[in-house]
Amino acid sequence: MRALDILGYSFNAIKLRKLKAGLTTLGVVIGIAAIVALMSITSGLETSITGQLNEGLSADTLVITAGGSSLGAGGFGGGASGFGDGSISDSGFALYVNDTEIVSSLSSDIESTTGVISRSGYIQSADLNRSVTLYAVDFSTYSEVYSATFVAQDGNIPTNPHDDEIIVGARIVDPGNNGTKYFTPGDYVNIAWTNSTVYPLTNETTRVVISGVLQEIGGLSLSGPSDLGVYMPISAAEDFLGTTKVSSIVVKLVNSDNVTINAVTNAIKDYYGSDVSILSSTSILSTINSIFSIIQLFLVGIAGISLLVAGIGIMNIMFVSMFERTREIGILKALGMKKKTVLAIFLSESAMIGLLGAIIGIVAGYGLAVIVANVLGSGLFGASGGLTIAPVLTPTVLLGAFGFGVGISVIFALYPAWKASKLKPVDALRYE
Amino acid sequence: MVAIVEAINLKKTYMLGRVPVEALRGINLHIDAGEFVSILGPSGSGKSTMLNLIGALDKPTSGRLLIDGMDVSKLGDDQLAELRLSIGFVFQFFNLIPRLSARENVELAMSIANKRKRRKRARELLETVGLKERMKHKPVELSGGQQQRVAIARALANDPAFLLLDEPTGNVDSKTAREILDLIHMLNKEKNVSIIMVTHDEKLAHEATRTVFMVDGNIAKELVN
Repeated sequence: MRALDILGYSFNAIKLRKLKAGLTTLGVVIGIAAIVALMSITSGLETSITGQLNEGLSADTLVITAGGSSLGAGGFGGGASGFGDGSISDSGFALYVNDTEIVSSLSSDIESTTGVISRSGYIQSADLNRSVTLYAVDFSTYSEVYSATFVAQDGNIPTNPHDDEIIVGARIVDPGNNGTKYFTPGDYVNIAWTNSTVYPLTNETTRVVISGVLQEIGGLSLSGPSDLGVYMPISAAEDFLGTTKVSSIVVKLVNSDNVTINAVTNAIKDYYGSDVSILSSTSILSTINSIFSIIQLFLVGIAGISLLVAGIGIMNIMFVSMFERTREIGILKALGMKKKTVLAIFLSESAMIGLLGAIIGIVAGYGLAVIVANVLGSGLFGASGGLTIAPVLTPTVLLGAFGFGVGISVIFALYPAWKASKLKPVDALRYE
Repeated sequence: MVAIVEAINLKKTYMLGRVPVEALRGINLHIDAGEFVSILGPSGSGKSTMLNLIGALDKPTSGRLLIDGMDVSKLGDDQLAELRLSIGFVFQFFNLIPRLSARENVELAMSIANKRKRRKRARELLETVGLKERMKHKPVELSGGQQQRVAIARALANDPAFLLLDEPTGNVDSKTAREILDLIHMLNKEKNVSIIMVTHDEKLAHEATRTVFMVDGNIAKELVN
């Protein structure tokens, strides 16, 4: 029997058992669809997040924070809370505004440095009181470092600001992202923070004027400007916030190549030792990528279990098929067919089931991913700044799903097919 | 004359649980090409074992068995399968593949690679057995006699050294049985096809030119009809 004849014969056999084969195929479809959906959603999410991070974090920028953790201070997420205040590390070591001068002197590859003081606080007006993160920065160097994101859409960012001039993120002005603006440049508002170092707790408040509103940045930013940030001149911080401790020092390098990044990182490490941690865009992105790899592996592992179940289903149907067709196997053998032909007939049947299951599964999985991505994009992340997820179906995932579907089907059919091929023609022909 | 079957002191012992059962106890048999030989015996005589051995479906315990010049006891599974290509089986219960048409059933057994040639040959064979008009019918749409004709056409597919018939008329009515026997005679006389037929029906056995009587795993006598 030639290969094409075997395929034709197997297809014929499947056609006759449409319901059984269909249900078995469904098992493969579910497994493959789950894998494809999860892979393409996580890939899409990763692409979306890294894209947004790239926007919010210049490649030629380092962020120094006090403490040894890699993603600790500085407000990962850029939201109102961030991951802690971050101005003082566990060991008690802190960075101060004047550390920016020390850092600047450490390497000739440093173009400029700016300290960022951050603190949870409030912005208040007659009809609004919402919690925000207050950032004290040097407007001119900060806008140099984050030239793509620290840009005013309304008003302007003053180069030599007065102490009462502030810049606010897009979501402060339009919290619902629906066009309803609570402030415009020139409006006076109060900013406040709760001083917990005195008893009773006191709200420190100051009256400021909004000079500029930032353009919308997106859902995530890392140590860079945020849609939910309120920015005040660093010169005003000492008085109002009562501190010169910075949560981070942002270093702008002369270029973004890895040699420069490593050289400056080492120079800073040499000076401060393990008291600081230094983030670069490449290190953050590689951390994010490795986190996503783990998440993806975990999710695919779960989806793989369903495919394993499908494989057992295939094994089951192949055994049933073998028993149902024992006599047929005897006839084929009496007609001169070899063991390998019988093996090939059974394996090609399961391969066809796997192939069909994989094709339908990939289409269904991608469709599912698009639906889930839309729901996630408009629901979960929509409110916080519109993180759009476009499912990514890479050729690797496509071929992997394809190979996995067919592979599992064939592997699980090997044993029943081998058993069928080993049947003795005399016994098989006698089988009722 | 060239021998198509040559058995020398052929023995076959089965294990029924732990009890050995001697199905063949030293058979000596010689069948020439072009002969029509029937092997007759009651149940338990060893004729089915003989059929399995001549059909290369099983291997002897001892002795020599040459089928079409090949020593069966020295062949592996795949070589036995290849040998079976030169044996045309016709079973009592037809053993057609139900989901395939008459023509597809005949084609299934063919070792011809070219699909067009295979189809042409299947058509010719079905014409020979008188089923030209029912080629596209599935077995379930054919009568018992017609199914057996398809089985005979299938058995002839690879120009076999001989046809091996197992109770070929055991499952059809007497009129159809006669037609099938006429077909077998025609194949033997006009197409010079060698025929070996295994049966328990004495009347049927006498249709052959030579009858071999088996009793208790031995050949009791041979008779030229």
